Amino acid sequence: MADPACSPILLSARARLVVAFVLAFGFASVQSLVMVPVLVAIGAAGLLASGMIRHNLARLRGAALLAAGFLLILPLISGQTELASLGPVTLYLEGAQAGALIAGRLLAIVALTLALLSPVSPFDLVAGMRALGVPSLMADLAFLTLRYMQEIAGQLSRGQLARRLRGGKTGWRAVPDHAFLVASSLIRAQLRSEQLWAAMRLRGYNAGLNAPVAPLGPLDWACISGASVLAVALFWLDRSL
Amino acid sequence: MHLPDGLMPVEMALAGYAGSGLLATISLSRIKRLPDPSSVVPRAAMLTTVFFAASLVAIPVPPTTVHLMLAGLLGVMLGWFAIPAILVGLFLQAVLFGHGGLTTLGLNGLILGLPALLAFGLWRSAGRRWPDLVALCAGSGAVVLALVIFAALVLAGMPAALDARAEQAALWVFMLAHLPLVLAEGLIVLVVLRVLRRTAPQLLPHG
Repeated sequence: MADPACSPILLSARARLVVAFVLAFGFASVQSLVMVPVLVAIGAAGLLASGMIRHNLARLRGAALLAAGFLLILPLISGQTELASLGPVTLYLEGAQAGALIAGRLLAIVALTLALLSPVSPFDLVAGMRALGVPSLMADLAFLTLRYMQEIAGQLSRGQLARRLRGGKTGWRAVPDHAFLVASSLIRAQLRSEQLWAAMRLRGYNAGLNAPVAPLGPLDWACISGASVLAVALFWLDRSL
Repeated sequence: MHLPDGLMPVEMALAGYAGSGLLATISLSRIKRLPDPSSVVPRAAMLTTVFFAASLVAIPVPPTTVHLMLAGLLGVMLGWFAIPAILVGLFLQAVLFGHGGLTTLGLNGLILGLPALLAFGLWRSAGRRWPDLVALCAGSGAVVLALVIFAALVLAGMPAALDARAEQAALWVFMLAHLPLVLAEGLIVLVVLRVLRRTAPQLLPHG
């Protein structure tokens, strides 16, 4: 049942993707506030079992901020039943409940997704997508995007730094400068893509991603079954409470 | 402007997957009609990477800093490739950075994909005649359409126990807060397309 506890090395990327989707939808189907601590506990267990706690916690920061926003704002703006009143500020029960439910589901799903998928290498992730039936064009797009992401992000940030060092404009006047930066990156990317296409044809395009897919192992099947049972159990428990 | 995990009901999330799946199927079938679709993949991937990287850069748009969506520019430059590119970008953002969501991937695909197709249609139909005006409309219009779809989905998917009037007011505030992004994206698409028309016209569908 404890899918996140499966070894991060042994479980295939394909199984990880299936487990992540099954559990994400299982968590998203929860509507009872009582179940939220269970979801959060499973998400936290997943993070701990992933072995990349610091890395995943850093990536969880955005989701945590968003969850805090839901927790803080919804009780202030929505609901009919007064929970507490602090001067002009009134907190409402329905808003607080909805905020806690949304924040709990959000954090648990993102934590589990990161725990399951962040240890997977980009190539394995794309190969896993392809093996699950994602069209080859999209899998190739994903792979090449991942392959060149760091390089192009680096180019853009160097361009921004250069603009700042030259005493670039600020505020609204910086927007056209940013557009010039994007345009020059697009032109460079076009030139690079021509070289890339020539290299891909020489190497035999698609040979990597279309290679025969290894069948799922017993551990993969065990984790997928465990995740499915857990998702159904969460749904059933949620509806019966 | 992504819908996060945990916000929308499962039924809507699944409907989003169906909608995005349909969009992707239509796009892929149009792409397959190209003379040599494989040869366009590296170009689409490199441009997707630029859009993906550029959307991660925060640019100062007073009174705040914004992350660009670039759905309009993506639509103009990639055409039907914009849909697979957006879905791939959203998936990678969700699994690698925890942005957006795995369950809401389909809905987010519609929020960005439909505006990209609108921009593509606008550019294809009138881009040659009024390039600057169409570029401005494609950039700003894509953000406006994305905001409208986002707001409609949130209104349809929020729990019934919440106060509908307060929810609408919050959405209005959210949409007004994105006004600088509407203007900034229009300006950016205008400048980018102007530069490309002069220096690399082969990058644009109309050359």
